[in-house]
Amino acid sequence: MYDKTVRRRRAVLLLLVVLSLILLTAYFGEAPGGRLHSVQRGFLTVLSPIQDGANKALKPVRDAFGWIGDTVHAKGQRDQLRKQVDKLRREVIANQTEKTSYRDLLALYHLDNQLNVSNYRPVTATVVAKSPNIWYSTVTIDKGEGSGVRINDPVINGEGLVGKVTQVASDGAQVSLITDSTMGVSARLGSTPATGIVQPKVGAPNDLLLQYLPANTQANRGDYVVTSGTVSSPDDSLYPPGIPIGQVTSVNEESAYRSVNVHPLANLHNLDVVQVLTAARGSAPARVGKLAATLPAGQTAVPGAAGAGALASTGTGK
Amino acid sequence: MSAWGHTVTGRAKAHSVLGESFSAGVAARIAALAVAIVFFQTGVVSEVPLLGVNADLPPLLVAFVGLLCGSMLGALSGFAVGLLVDLALVQTLGVTSLIFTLIGYWSGRLRELRDPQAALTPLLVGAAASAASMIGYSLMEFLLGVEAPVSLELLRQIVLGVIVGAVVSLPTWAVVRRSLQGGLPEDPRRRRRRAYATGGLSPLSRA
Repeated sequence: MYDKTVRRRRAVLLLLVVLSLILLTAYFGEAPGGRLHSVQRGFLTVLSPIQDGANKALKPVRDAFGWIGDTVHAKGQRDQLRKQVDKLRREVIANQTEKTSYRDLLALYHLDNQLNVSNYRPVTATVVAKSPNIWYSTVTIDKGEGSGVRINDPVINGEGLVGKVTQVASDGAQVSLITDSTMGVSARLGSTPATGIVQPKVGAPNDLLLQYLPANTQANRGDYVVTSGTVSSPDDSLYPPGIPIGQVTSVNEESAYRSVNVHPLANLHNLDVVQVLTAARGSAPARVGKLAATLPAGQTAVPGAAGAGALASTGTGK
Repeated sequence: MSAWGHTVTGRAKAHSVLGESFSAGVAARIAALAVAIVFFQTGVVSEVPLLGVNADLPPLLVAFVGLLCGSMLGALSGFAVGLLVDLALVQTLGVTSLIFTLIGYWSGRLRELRDPQAALTPLLVGAAASAASMIGYSLMEFLLGVEAPVSLELLRQIVLGVIVGAVVSLPTWAVVRRSLQGGLPEDPRRRRRRAYATGGLSPLSRA
């Protein structure tokens, strides 16, 4: 009985395996239009509507499973995307910072070319600290004596004049902005030869006042105010001529001297990269500046091929 | 009470199953279960990837039929389910039949020879059936000349497939066992009915 059972079991297995192999061989060997293929196609024709119906009936189940899978997948994706967003945000910030620096440096480069400030030994510095008060009149830069920065050196950026160095350390310096109450810059209206002194406007620390202009000066709103390239005392700084300071916003005619309100061109609230015109001792601009400072008031000195342009001592009181 | 849901005692009793003819009802249940699982496989399971792979229910069904009904019915149902899968999925006829026949036979022989009673047996059998199915498919594809590189990716797919197969084997086992319950020769209710009819159920076997 046992042997018979075993023999039958083995025979069935052998039969099924052989049948499978025959099916396999026949199917594999026949052409796509063969009999087995036709049977398969016929079965599929019968099965397709049922399968279609079953698919529709099972769609809610599939959706439920899919929803679970999608939720898990979405959570994974969310975490991944959050990491990606964080990374991209850091990159964007870095790019924006670099872009700003690049723009500043490009503007400085253009200004250098326009004004030929390279004769003044410009030292590029980064603003590392800003005065936190609302008057916002000083900034600290990361270059100091070690880089040749001296007190009274003019500071510019791509937009125009920023201020001058008032304190200096070995590797840092404090710059007083042109809106600082202690500042006074010899300047002229861009369209006229008339010169005056630019100082902060009382009561409006972010605006400037170009004072002591001759009474007959024709000033118009929108005129540019630039440095005149003059010094008034040995302690004053030598600003290269033609550096833009600001734009005339209104004209005051109530006094003997004419004065105009000026809005600074340089965005003093958003300083990042600046240049300090060190005009090292012994350089042509420095020599001319020193010479100008020794001249009596009212005399004019014209530098040679120093590249600093016209320079005069105006004796305008500042 | 074992993982099988009923008491099966000893190798001799398991062997006696081979001599017992199965009713048409059991065959019909297995056929219905096979059709349902193939449709469920193509309609749902194949659309829902787990760990990047799809669970394969038909080999689990065949393995569990073998495990519940023995090697003969395991092999026969393996052949039939394999043929159904090949026809439904328009695959090379005979490939799945061959693999499933061997899986069904092997799981049936496992029951007849070892009669494992551990609760984790369905899980291990499911994992083994999944592995056998995937490795068998790969071998057959290679033998039939399908150019697929033997790569770490393939190995990874097989390993993940085995894990997923093991995971889904427990619910599949529950469904298969519940579906075939009552029609099996070793089913406790059937055995109890027979014992009461003949007065042969001893207090020991009742316990």
